[in-house]
Amino acid sequence: MKYKDYDILDFLSDEFFIQWVKSPDKNNHHFWNKWLQQHPEKRETVMEAASIIRSVKYANSPELSDEMYVDAFETIIKAGKQKTENQPTTTSWFSFYPLRNIAAFFLLGFCGWMIHYHMLVGLQPEIPVVVEENTVFRNVPAGKKSIITLADSSRVFLNANSEIEYPAAFNQGERWVKLTGEAFFEVKRNGKPFSVFANNTEIKVLGTSFNVKEANKDLSVALVSGIVQVKDSKGNQVRLDPMEMLAIKEDGRFFKTGFDTLEITGWKDRILVFRSASYEDVKQKIENWYGVEMTLKGKVSSQWKYSGIYKDETLENVLRGIFITSGMQYNIENRKVTLYNPK
Amino acid sequence: MKPEKKEILSPTKLVLPLNQSESLQQFESKTDEEVWDAFDKGNELAFNFIYRVHIKGMFRYGSQVTCDTALIKDCVQNIFIQLREKRGSLSKVNSIKGYLFISLQREIIRKLGKGKSFEKNSIEQNENFFPITLSHESILIQREKEEEKRGLVRQALNQLTARQRQAILLFYEEGMSYKEIAEAMEFSEVKSARKIIYRALATLKCIIIK
Repeated sequence: MKYKDYDILDFLSDEFFIQWVKSPDKNNHHFWNKWLQQHPEKRETVMEAASIIRSVKYANSPELSDEMYVDAFETIIKAGKQKTENQPTTTSWFSFYPLRNIAAFFLLGFCGWMIHYHMLVGLQPEIPVVVEENTVFRNVPAGKKSIITLADSSRVFLNANSEIEYPAAFNQGERWVKLTGEAFFEVKRNGKPFSVFANNTEIKVLGTSFNVKEANKDLSVALVSGIVQVKDSKGNQVRLDPMEMLAIKEDGRFFKTGFDTLEITGWKDRILVFRSASYEDVKQKIENWYGVEMTLKGKVSSQWKYSGIYKDETLENVLRGIFITSGMQYNIENRKVTLYNPK
Repeated sequence: MKPEKKEILSPTKLVLPLNQSESLQQFESKTDEEVWDAFDKGNELAFNFIYRVHIKGMFRYGSQVTCDTALIKDCVQNIFIQLREKRGSLSKVNSIKGYLFISLQREIIRKLGKGKSFEKNSIEQNENFFPITLSHESILIQREKEEEKRGLVRQALNQLTARQRQAILLFYEEGMSYKEIAEAMEFSEVKSARKIIYRALATLKCIIIK
């Protein structure tokens, strides 16, 4: 059976599909994104299946404490050592013995290093010292997009109406970027943490790809691969797994959701996506995307919703696609779009 | 959000040169068979790698059968101690995770069952094992209609047997393949892992489709 003939139960029992939902990587991601583009009618089923898969959790899920992590390790290593000490030492064991000791030392050290790296890094958000440090500003106006490659070869896709600031000596010191607006980050792993500051929030990562959007004092972070740690100004801290999105509202409320990759990150591949978008959403997206101003003559019902996907389309085609089907007229003149709704 | 964890170890005392961690990275691209083989041959980095990758998952998995964390820790330690002793003559495994999971399950049930007569099939007998919950964070923001639906899904989940819940959790929460599930649940054939998932989904069918 082909995926196009799948119903929700088929998706729910398909290993390759679950693999994409649980641990998306380059390969499965590429396939499913392409497939979804070809089968938009299946999108709802797929999203529903993905949401069911993601929502199944262990009822008990205690975290292993750092103390236990280290203690168990030590017990295991030492048990082996005691054994060798008490046993009548054979030559072969004996020759291993110093090696084991050295190994134990390094392993314990490594343990600590891992804990330091994965748990403690990020606990103290150091706001970068901007004073006396040369920084570089890059900004993109409405209607444009840009890809910036940083000195550590991490890439930043900068969306329209957005700006980043980063240290000129990026690779030598701390890796950080300040963001206003929206950007997609592909961070190269080089052992040093990489921080994105937006809206008084720090997003700390090692190597990963994720989308950050800051608009009207709301912030959303959507993780495609790797791990990120988000810390807000009040010290609240959340860790995201792949395919999870964290939304932080202006008043500090926050919640995690899944997300549709195409909808959230399609922009970096020049794909304009509307998903049950209200007129306000559509207006804002188009203005930003094409760098135009949109005015409405007449009214659009609050029930009006539009869904559609446009890849690399002209403003004219997008407007035609959206509004003609809804019985509206439009007129483009000098970066100004006027919309007429006769109804 | 959880409160910040207290620092237990001073990281500065335990910082390791980077090249050491790079030599651990060699295992990331290896198959389970290769990692297991290196471990069997006495490679300490391979052991370290297995410990690092699986310890958290094992601890969490153990928590599905008992809430006695000290007991889980003891069992995890025992498993690794025994494995290390047997290095040089370890049997092959298909999936390290699946193997460690079933070892842990056996070890915990053995300890829990000490002095009692039940040991075999105890997962079937204990309906409290492997409870499932539906993630709260995602429910909250769902549309009301969908929330209702999820409530029904929850109800249906309770109709599953403990073994079915175990399979569903391994499949969706752990992201295991059928092959790995077969290893973790001691099925001799992968087919049986498919069957148990199909049966579980059939129980949930009326709720999922609508």
